[in-house]
Amino acid sequence: MKGGFYRRIAWSGMRKNGRLYVPFLLTCMGMVGMFYIVSFLCYSPMLGGMAGGTVMQMLLELGQWVIAAFAVLFLFYSHSFLLRRRKKEFGLYNILGMGKGNLALVLLWESVLTGLLALAGGLAGGIALAKFAELGMVFLLQARADYALSISVEAVWQTVRLFGVIFLLLFLDTIRQVRLANPMELLHSEAAGERPPRANWLLAVLGALILGAAYWLAVSVKEPLKAFLWFFVAVLLVIVATYLLFMAGSVVVCRLLQKRKRYYYQTRHFVSVSSMAYRMKRNGAGLASICILCTMVLVMLMSTVCLYVGTEDSLRTRYPRHLNLGVKVEEPGQLGRMERERALFEEALAARGLAAENVLDFRCASFEAFVDAASGEVMLDESEMHAFDLGTLADMWECCLVPVEDYNAMTGRNVILEPGEALLCTARTGYAGDQVSLSSGQSWRIRERVEDFEINGGDGALLTPSMYLFIGDFEEAVEPLLGLESGNGRPLVSLKWVYGMDVEAPEEEQARMAGEIRDGLARLKEEAEGEADGAGTRTRGWTFESVAEERLGFYSLYGGLFFLGVLLGIVFLFAAVLIMYYKQICEGYEDQARFGILQKVGMTRKEIRDSVNSQVLTVFFLPLLAAGVHLAFAFPMTRKLLALFNLGNTGLMIRVAVGCYLAFALFYVVVYRFTSRAYYGIVSGDH
Amino acid sequence: MSILEVQGLKKTYTTRLGGSRVEALKNVTFRVEEGEYVAIMGESGSGKTTLLNILAALDKPTGGVVKLDGREMGAIREAELAAFRREHLGFVFQDFNLLDTFSLEDNIFLPLVLAGERPEEMERRLRPIAKKLGIGEILKKYPYEVSGGQKQRAAVARALIIGPRLILADEPTGALDSRATDELLRLFGEINQGGQTILMVTHSVRAASHAGRVLFIRDGEVFHQLYRGAGSEMEQYQRITDTLTMLTTGGERR
Repeated sequence: MKGGFYRRIAWSGMRKNGRLYVPFLLTCMGMVGMFYIVSFLCYSPMLGGMAGGTVMQMLLELGQWVIAAFAVLFLFYSHSFLLRRRKKEFGLYNILGMGKGNLALVLLWESVLTGLLALAGGLAGGIALAKFAELGMVFLLQARADYALSISVEAVWQTVRLFGVIFLLLFLDTIRQVRLANPMELLHSEAAGERPPRANWLLAVLGALILGAAYWLAVSVKEPLKAFLWFFVAVLLVIVATYLLFMAGSVVVCRLLQKRKRYYYQTRHFVSVSSMAYRMKRNGAGLASICILCTMVLVMLMSTVCLYVGTEDSLRTRYPRHLNLGVKVEEPGQLGRMERERALFEEALAARGLAAENVLDFRCASFEAFVDAASGEVMLDESEMHAFDLGTLADMWECCLVPVEDYNAMTGRNVILEPGEALLCTARTGYAGDQVSLSSGQSWRIRERVEDFEINGGDGALLTPSMYLFIGDFEEAVEPLLGLESGNGRPLVSLKWVYGMDVEAPEEEQARMAGEIRDGLARLKEEAEGEADGAGTRTRGWTFESVAEERLGFYSLYGGLFFLGVLLGIVFLFAAVLIMYYKQICEGYEDQARFGILQKVGMTRKEIRDSVNSQVLTVFFLPLLAAGVHLAFAFPMTRKLLALFNLGNTGLMIRVAVGCYLAFALFYVVVYRFTSRAYYGIVSGDH
Repeated sequence: MSILEVQGLKKTYTTRLGGSRVEALKNVTFRVEEGEYVAIMGESGSGKTTLLNILAALDKPTGGVVKLDGREMGAIREAELAAFRREHLGFVFQDFNLLDTFSLEDNIFLPLVLAGERPEEMERRLRPIAKKLGIGEILKKYPYEVSGGQKQRAAVARALIIGPRLILADEPTGALDSRATDELLRLFGEINQGGQTILMVTHSVRAASHAGRVLFIRDGEVFHQLYRGAGSEMEQYQRITDTLTMLTTGGERR
């Protein structure tokens, strides 16, 4: 009977605070559901059994921990709002003769009820949605799936365990807080006088300067490798500046507005401006956090969506043809003798009645060098090379000497070069000079800049700038370079035969062809090793890659990142808007008295509503707006970073960025409408 | 013509489920003439606050008529009420009702800002009032920085700055110590001498003894009234005390 009493008190307490409890419960359910889904996918045998599924599951496991950590932080945070509002109630119970022990029992019941509701609702939602998530993942991996609904016992158990612990911690924290306070404090914990906010000019100006510096940094960095390094610097600066501006800058702006009497003393601005100063003083840090959270979510969403949507682009950049072969040799003379390798491709094509398309077929001598793009000086790298000195790497070019005959053969042109002349083709960075001179003494005058040559892929495809020089006297030109060594004692120049083609065949067929060719290449290598020493076809090695085989790897990695990005995006978005909601609700109770006065002094309900709207609007949309600006400035840098993943499609990125922002804003607007209605209900005393 | 005319005012509260009905005001009738200083006294629950809320147009009567300057307040549309309140009535409350986010000056300007007044005009109006009330030095301060008496004087300034036809004061001395009370009552006296009509609801005999006339309310009706006439405050104080004693011991005089 007694237990029933405490349960009833707990239950009615929760019901009476519905405006606070319902969002909290929804948050809990959302977190539980989200965690269950990710956990479910981690254990899903269907996903694990798929090609690329293991990579996905590894990523998801990582994401699972991120969500768990975030759930702990966020539930504690929103629970503290709840607690603050309810302390008065606890104080009253205390004064009415409930001991702390009895209070603890009530709180225990509340925690149990909250926990049960959250777990039940969250798991129900999670189980219902998990199948969709699984299908989504399978779709991302471009595979097929069955549609049977399943429940993962491990995932349920893991979810229950995690959130059981979280709710226990929340309960203990509540007890601790209630124990520490005395009844009178509990009763009066809401009312406390507040000093007017001081405008801190120094911090505001500092914030503006830092933000300017960070933005300048973000747009002025040119090279992707530099971007990688400076990105973190810029991010840190932006974070610092955002806090400074939201906390100090906002108050300064309000103060400035108050100084402009004509503006300030208008019905529309009077109440809003002066309340905003207080609001920003109290919420500046929170809003700055939300702004940063939003920015991070947007950048993350943008990057992962871009990566996933741009997978095909990346593949094409990384692997310029469906089938790509590179053979390294030691002497230029060997380059011409690749009949056996060629034959492997032809056999594979002939067996299927296919023809090669977009054939790449050229010899080249490639080396890395520092290029002074303005003067045309190419410093051959004979000194110590610091491969990880990112700053110098930016001026490091990949240079290739290619016989002009090969160029002619590929493009169908008939260019005849005078001695000392060359055709130039550059990628990623322009080259201003009209001649190229190597520090070893050779130099070429550029006769023509060509663009009809598709650059070779490779691991550094988009990382470093590259330069192709088509020259007439290939073997002569290469000869003196062969003896040079780079800093680590390896030959500076590598001689390579590049061969590649597109084939008009389905994915599986391409993969089979690639398999055959690879087997053939391995056989050739064995044979070559068996031959007498020094025989013509001895090679330093070969690399063979096919898009068909690599595609799945790309999709599982980018698809996994995409899925996680969206999932975490949703979680963080929920968190951000819920924090806003709670903040506004709490302020609503504080503003209630204030608006009562305004009404007595002669403000109409409409004026009050307008003022409320403009304030809630500002508080709500300031972070979103700032996040938008941050995003815009982060864009150039993000673009350069994505270039590291072989993604260079700027148009796509802009569309994705705008799309993400709009989707984000839409959700935001919906929550804003709910919030402003609830807030107005509170301040006008309608509840 | 009277500034305020209250006739047969009735207010009945019904509990939410329509069960029991409480008659806060049964039948209140009185007039306030221009330039008068009237105090309304009564015990807790006698209907004082209800009466004041109806006079302030914050609440609607169940029956009866309230006329301000001959204009019937029940006939004013909801949309105009706020403006009407702003232009004709000044309020002074027990708990000051100053906004803590505004400096005293901005608090005083509030009704003018709502009326769309120009900043220069607002300054011009404030100066003499601030001088009279002795708050010229503390205008830039915030409510939490000043004493209760100073807050109440700022609230009086806010009521006066619109040049209201009538000042409604609800227990204006309720939260003040005795020195601040004396100071405020002296100010009220001075303001009244200047021709301002004041209607004050109060518990305090001392506050009421400053008024020109005291109305006693009991059980939702005007039970009795006392004119101060030429008598001193002390005499009036004694008469009020006597009347209250009679009221509580259940006299039936009318």
